[in-house]
Amino acid sequence: QDVPTLRFSAVVSDQDIRASMMNQFADLVREYANVENYFGATMFRQGTELVALQRDNLEMGNIAPQDISEQIPEWSILTSAYLFRDAAHLRTFFDSEIGEEFKAMAEDRLGIRILGPTYFGARQVGLRGDKQITTPEDMAGIRLRMPGGDAWQFLGESLGANPNPVAYAEVYTALQTGTIDGQDNPLPNVQNMKFYEVMDQIVLTSHLVGYDLLVISQSAWEKLSPEGQEAVQAAADQVIEWSENMHLEMEASLLDEFRAAGLNIYEPDRDAFRVYAQQHYLNSDISASWPEGALEAINAL
Amino acid sequence: MNLFDPFVVCIITLVGLALFGLPIGHSMIAASILYLFLAGLDMGTAAEQLLNSMFTSYTMLAVPLFILAAEFMNSGSMTMRLLNFSNALVGRFRGGLAQVNVLQSLLFAGMSGSAIADAAGMGKVMMKLMTHNGKYTPSFAAALTAVVAVVAPILPPSIPMVIYALVSNVSIGYLFLAGIMPGLLITVSQMMLVGWSARRQNFPTEPPVPLRELPGLTLKAIPALMLPVVLILGLRGGMMTPTEAAAVAAGYALFVSMVVYRDVGLRQFYDSLQSAARTTTSIGMLIAAALVFNYVITVENIPSNINQFLLSFELSPLMFLLMVNVLLLLVGALLEGTTIILIVVPVLLPTAHALGIDPVHFGVVVVFNVMLGLVTPPYGMLLFVVKRVSGAPLGAILRDTVPFLLGLLGALVLITLVPDIPLLIPRLFGYSG
Amino acid sequence: MDRIAMIGRWLYRRAENIQALMLGVMFFAFMAQVTLRYLFNFSTGWSFELTVVMWLWMVLWGAAFVVREEEEIRFDLLYGSVRESVRRIFTVITSLALIGLYLFSLPAILDYVLFMKVQSTAYLKIRFDYLFSIYILFVLGVVCRYVWILWTALRNRPRKRGDDPKASSTL
Ligand code: NA
Ligand code: NA
Repeated sequence: QDVPTLRFSAVVSDQDIRASMMNQFADLVREYANVENYFGATMFRQGTELVALQRDNLEMGNIAPQDISEQIPEWSILTSAYLFRDAAHLRTFFDSEIGEEFKAMAEDRLGIRILGPTYFGARQVGLRGDKQITTPEDMAGIRLRMPGGDAWQFLGESLGANPNPVAYAEVYTALQTGTIDGQDNPLPNVQNMKFYEVMDQIVLTSHLVGYDLLVISQSAWEKLSPEGQEAVQAAADQVIEWSENMHLEMEASLLDEFRAAGLNIYEPDRDAFRVYAQQHYLNSDISASWPEGALEAINAL
Repeated sequence: MNLFDPFVVCIITLVGLALFGLPIGHSMIAASILYLFLAGLDMGTAAEQLLNSMFTSYTMLAVPLFILAAEFMNSGSMTMRLLNFSNALVGRFRGGLAQVNVLQSLLFAGMSGSAIADAAGMGKVMMKLMTHNGKYTPSFAAALTAVVAVVAPILPPSIPMVIYALVSNVSIGYLFLAGIMPGLLITVSQMMLVGWSARRQNFPTEPPVPLRELPGLTLKAIPALMLPVVLILGLRGGMMTPTEAAAVAAGYALFVSMVVYRDVGLRQFYDSLQSAARTTTSIGMLIAAALVFNYVITVENIPSNINQFLLSFELSPLMFLLMVNVLLLLVGALLEGTTIILIVVPVLLPTAHALGIDPVHFGVVVVFNVMLGLVTPPYGMLLFVVKRVSGAPLGAILRDTVPFLLGLLGALVLITLVPDIPLLIPRLFGYSG
Repeated sequence: MDRIAMIGRWLYRRAENIQALMLGVMFFAFMAQVTLRYLFNFSTGWSFELTVVMWLWMVLWGAAFVVREEEEIRFDLLYGSVRESVRRIFTVITSLALIGLYLFSLPAILDYVLFMKVQSTAYLKIRFDYLFSIYILFVLGVVCRYVWILWTALRNRPRKRGDDPKASSTL
């Protein structure tokens, strides 16, 4: 029968949990839509999917909140350090009233409909050397690789480190040779890119809950029948929960795996890090665009 | 096959425009625009793909910088000093000047990523020296210069390896290291072949350079010889990423020429910038256009369809690699090398991956093939360079390349069959493949 | 006519200067980046971005205003082996196709470039519509050049062809 085609493009490889998530999604909504998945950034480059959605060159994507905050400054709060405590807190937020307000902003201003947050692991600091890290002060002078861009570099500073932009593909060699002292990524990425081979320790800072947003363009959404919309949302809820559980399980088993590989893994004084980071954000221009009372409301959830 | 299918029209247009002499880059962009229109897609995507892909391909910056480094080396006396040094070492043997040609190519290869730069720069000088007073026939001098230049992009640094890294996401650092053993293997085989020809055809020797002059000549060549050392130490010592290494290579070559040897001034500095920028445009347009065309290929699911097709033959990894060799040698005879890496190789990568072939090993095999394409007729860039400089007829040059080509083919087969050869050095530096 | 040719040559040399300058900026930004990080442990995000901007602009600027016919990488087997008159027919066909397709796509491309005003680069905060406007210049420059090539071919002038292999491949 004649159902609308939904092109989905993402950076993740076809081996990733999120690729499997999207394949399941395609199966679940088969009756109402023909989902075409393109993995490995072969269709649109990382960070360009949002514009492609806005211009109707793409119907679905897994969009980073950082990309949304570029066009909606209020959203930058959702990319700040130590905002969400864990995956559950993240989901609670997007189901809450204030979460709906943020979703409405994206819908009104960008013409995209957010189906839900896709958790992919908490970011942890991985380092060379054996210097014990307890507080942000211990991070002083450490060349920490952060993704490119002011917002990410600021996140690195809010950990007390000396942030450095190095291309993701060059991080392994840069760590191996000591061009940088460390990197911050969720554990599944650390395994994927084999960073653990060239690291000596993992400091469990959990400074940022890593997530993207499973998104459908408003125009594609409106082309679906009411039952189709219901099915798409239900399927999204189902696969997002599955993917979240897979990531949580994976993080737990990776900790064991990395320990077995000889890495020193420990938790620093997270409260000290949280206070330092939130203070750093509040003292800067970045927090000027945050909606009034949003931080407190999210903290209270 | 439906002749009015947008993809079929796109391919026919691309091939037609390219055959009729439109630059390949423009042919790809124009054909892609036509595809977007016929498929009912947004034609703005042509710009979207080109701009975003170029803007995010940070590692590609190594290409203009390696070109710039070669310009700096060729504009000063760096390469001449390497020649004098090589002559002092191997000039005294039978076929001495021919051996000098092989050795200087090896030394140049450690600093430059471009075979064309080798042949057009140092190669010119070598051909003149070899044909002076009728020591060697112009065709032999030309043939030898063409085949020894092949080693430049196989030993690190290497422009085609950077481009392979773009399409395969393989670490440039490990690719570079994997080129070392094959590069040395090629040089040894070429020296043996020259030695064999020298005895058979009774090539002349050069007046031996007195041994007491060797230290002086070495000293003069040392700043130039240090460049590969600086690169390797800088990379391994954590001073820089591979992309930055290209900039450091250019910076070092500039420093040696301007400050140590003092034979490059501001004028030559500017000319080098200008010349490198021009060359960057030619190759950059090809990369940019391939990035647009890649969108068409992706939308049409070509790589995964070809992957399915190839996997249906249940090839063994070895059979696949041998097939790739034959295929690339055939297209290499006809097409420019950058185009092959950007267009042909991406459709082979998924299958190589599925068969468990090491991506670094695969990269070395691919680059080796593309280099062979530079010396195989009818379309061989290196052949054109040496033909123009030497004035020898193409047929005579081709005849004289035969033993060397066979040597290169032998080395290619060996490297294809024994992945341990290219992977030996990367593994020493921590590569786990 | 001489005056116009003179102005043309003058403009061409300035286009060359600008392109060389872009490579120079890229080179020195890299030097600064390596030196500052290695010697002073000082990270420079701006240099990272500046180099990529230069790369994008250098290629498209060069393709529009600097590159010469004989420097382009092309497939020479058929084109290089036919008679001059046949080659001229080829040139007319390919020029028309290029001019037609590039101009036909221009409105959609303008639309995209203008849309990009909603985003800015990560460090230098250059608005993407400004940054990407180089593609418009590229299309206009190339179209003008091919109008000229078409005109020359139609007027029966033999087209200057060289085979400077140094420029037409860099491998
Ligand atoms: Na080299
Ligand atoms: Na060839």
